[in-house]
Amino acid sequence: MQYALLIYEDETLYGPGKKGPAIQAIVSRHMAFNRELGAKRVGGSGLAATSSATTIQTKGAKHTVHDGPFAEAKEQLGGFYLIEAKDLDEAIAIAKRVPLLQDGSIEIRPVLGPG
Amino acid sequence: MSGAALERVFREASGRIVGALAARYRDLALAEDVFAEACARALEDWSAKGVPTDPAAWLYQVAARAALDGLRRRRTHTRLESQLSAQFDAQSADVCDDAVIPDERLRLIFICCHPAVGVDARAALTLRLVCGLSTLEIARAFLVSETTMAQRLTRAKAKIADAGVPFELPAAQFWPERLDAVLTSVEIAYGKAHEDAAASGPHAHFAAEMLELTSTLVQLMPAEAEPAAVAAMVRLAEARRPARIDSSGLMVPLSEQDPQRWQRPLIDEAIGYLSRAAALGPDTVRVIQAKIHAAWCSRHTLESPPPWPQVMSLYDALLIRRDDPVVRLNRLVVVAEVHGVESALSELESLDGELLRDFAPYHAVRADLLRRAGRIRDARRAYDEALLRIASDAERRWLTRQRSLVEVPES
Repeated sequence: MQYALLIYEDETLYGPGKKGPAIQAIVSRHMAFNRELGAKRVGGSGLAATSSATTIQTKGAKHTVHDGPFAEAKEQLGGFYLIEAKDLDEAIAIAKRVPLLQDGSIEIRPVLGPG
Repeated sequence: MSGAALERVFREASGRIVGALAARYRDLALAEDVFAEACARALEDWSAKGVPTDPAAWLYQVAARAALDGLRRRRTHTRLESQLSAQFDAQSADVCDDAVIPDERLRLIFICCHPAVGVDARAALTLRLVCGLSTLEIARAFLVSETTMAQRLTRAKAKIADAGVPFELPAAQFWPERLDAVLTSVEIAYGKAHEDAAASGPHAHFAAEMLELTSTLVQLMPAEAEPAAVAAMVRLAEARRPARIDSSGLMVPLSEQDPQRWQRPLIDEAIGYLSRAAALGPDTVRVIQAKIHAAWCSRHTLESPPPWPQVMSLYDALLIRRDDPVVRLNRLVVVAEVHGVESALSELESLDGELLRDFAPYHAVRADLLRRAGRIRDARRAYDEALLRIASDAERRWLTRQRSLVEVPES
């Protein structure tokens, strides 16, 4: 099964626009984690700060474009992994090893298969 | 065989058969559906031809066939189907001979109580699939409508399938972390039965299911202390049931219950489980909780003094391992007996009342302490707060009587 691991952290920890010194440290930890995952990593990436986000809302076929992320929260979606795992327990074990700067949450979502 | 007897056969066979089918076909909903189908067929077939020698084996075989038919109808499962078909043909011969139903109940319990399943659904799903209780029975126990419970169960089964909850038994090193979710589910389920002191509600046999389930857990995990502790706790609490209400339906507090009305055989069984748990390692929260129950159950007559000092030291030990407001509150009841009402009251004031505001026992304990300290007006208010929140009838009537003790005629 494929799972998306969605990483939620307080992005202010990475400085304004996620350009502080902490970003270098976490990026190298993610690179090491990528090597560790090997073939289990199907895809994934870090995301730029929510200050760069643009949200398009559609209501009754009408689109409104506005500044900012979809939802304001204490922790923001900051990146994701797409992994191959045999079941939820393996996905949980992998998610526990995803590098975080401090506290944070990893949401595990199965990827819809061909059906 | 009567309808009730048949129902009993179905219920007893349920966990083993649904577990075995779920493990084999990796589909809880399918396992449940085909088991129901097998039971329906049994009703017709057995009334015509008589009950087979091994009803469980019969049900298993019919359900397994139905499962295979179901899978055949689903085109998407062609590959799995051909594998299973070969397996099934190899197995069906011995299934005919006797009950070769692999015992997958432990696996089934671990699936139902996976941490990815909502806390409120775990116990319900375990009762449904492992104990074979009907959705209506479970709904009554959890005080929700049948529709709500049906939705909760359906959602939990869908989550298990969609999220890829494994059907393999977790490796032994993951048991302690997972076992806790299992035992918490058992405690929640038993708690539902225990709240109803009179056992007049729909929980009467529900408690019996918990006795059965805990002994199964101990059988399946003989080297773990926690299941044995829970098995002991459930039995000790259940043993006191006949003495928990008086002839007029009023709740009787633990220290005033007549020990001669307690069920000795259950207590003896519990002590066996408890010594087993205590021998397996250092005392855990659950072992200490069971020991508190056991201390009470060591009383043989109302004339012998209540075991307050022993219970006090057990609560002190418990507090070191689990310091939460509910443990503190229960401990206060003992403090009042051992160190006096005033010191219990001053400790009570240091508890976070906000956190316990909707917890009926908090107000009941507070009311009792205030009454005994002679603070009549405060006590009356506390009784009113407790009465607002109490759910069980026997307890409500007892509290009402206690409140009448602090009613002073208006002058």
